[in-house]
Amino acid sequence: MTLLLAALLLLTAASGLGVVLTRDPRRQVFALSANGVVLTLLFLALQAPDVALSELAVGTAATPLLFLVTLVAVRINKSRR
Amino acid sequence: MSVLPWLVAAWLFGVGVYGIVSSRNYVHLIGCLSVCQSSSYVLLLGLGYRWGAGPPIFYDHPPGTPAVDPVVQALVLTDIVVGATVTALLLALALQVHKRRGSLDPQELRPLDRRGS
Amino acid sequence: MTPRWRTLLLVLAGLVILPGVWRVAMALPPFGAPTSPYGQAVNALVPSLRHVSNMVSAVNFDVRGFDTLGEEFMLLCAVTGTVLILRGGRGEDRRAKAGRIAGRALEPRSDATVLICRMFGVFTLVFGFYVTLHATATPGGGFQGGVVVASGLLLVYLGEGYRGWRRIARAPVLDGLEGGGALLFALAGLLPVVLGRAYLENVLPLGTVKDILSGGLMLVENVGVAFAVAGGFAMIMVEFMEETRATQSEVEE
Repeated sequence: MTLLLAALLLLTAASGLGVVLTRDPRRQVFALSANGVVLTLLFLALQAPDVALSELAVGTAATPLLFLVTLVAVRINKSRR
Repeated sequence: MSVLPWLVAAWLFGVGVYGIVSSRNYVHLIGCLSVCQSSSYVLLLGLGYRWGAGPPIFYDHPPGTPAVDPVVQALVLTDIVVGATVTALLLALALQVHKRRGSLDPQELRPLDRRGS
Repeated sequence: MTPRWRTLLLVLAGLVILPGVWRVAMALPPFGAPTSPYGQAVNALVPSLRHVSNMVSAVNFDVRGFDTLGEEFMLLCAVTGTVLILRGGRGEDRRAKAGRIAGRALEPRSDATVLICRMFGVFTLVFGFYVTLHATATPGGGFQGGVVVASGLLLVYLGEGYRGWRRIARAPVLDGLEGGGALLFALAGLLPVVLGRAYLENVLPLGTVKDILSGGLMLVENVGVAFAVAGGFAMIMVEFMEETRATQSEVEE
């Protein structure tokens, strides 16, 4: 096993743990974004360029945005009630 | 360490399930669910990998050069995109729960709780 | 069940399952050994059978095209469900244009953000089209190109602001794009049935390898998937952002 693959796999495990341990949802959004970047690098090292392209666009941009907008809508609804 | 990818996939899944079980906020719970999803991607792509092989794209190399498995890559590819839309559906549900009950805490939203509305 | 009991139950379940996980991890083939003859067969045969050079696209749209039809309808269902929940929750109280909730602070966007997003938004949209069109030659395809186009639209939102963005991303256009993409995929499969062959069989001329117009029916399915994915993601974004905006009755009062 090359050093790069082993290091990326351990980094993936660490970033997954980081997403779970970040309890505040507003901070978890950025942990999710970092998780997306780490997964993209792992998929690139595993010789999967299509998958890396999808994961970059989805995991770094689209999904964290949806989380952020949901949190904004929750806060607005709290003040609306 | 030729079992490292399988162990990392199992670790990610376990960590994600722990996050779901011990979560105090539905939006945090949905984030932990995405960690569980990523464990399946790592497992699938790890199964398809071959030493010294390139990507299954034969634009620069002639067909016949060693390449990794394209079937699992196709599975993971569609899975990532569809998983993001399912995450959006779950977030919409969480938003509706907050609108009706005023809270995102799973502990306060138990259905058989007589104290709640 | 209190959280403490729940965590205890999880730990117990983990202790029971952990030996099984260890045995399975040891019994799986070692990392890097060739595992599936199906994948090797696809790599060896499909370039000459279908005149494409991107094996992942070939598997997605030709070899396992029926599974991709299922995935596309899963996407359609998830997007429809999201839109139903959010629009249904707001009821008939909707606005076609952007409304701002009174009393909410309006943060001025910095000039650097606006400049960079305006430049890179258009560039990312063009890149998304490029990735979609090169499905059968280089890494690319409908799924990847669709999400890159969606993130390009997101950059356009950051550069133009909500009002300008809603003028570009109109809800009826996105509805039509998303449903039309799924319909295009299903109808592309019906074309061989009309000609007396099997559903989703590749009946169009296959072209030459490394050309972007190779692969036959794969190109039509690719365009359908790209429309559905881009339209679906954009629709989800519009619906979520509408949740943070004033409804018609709130604006008029």
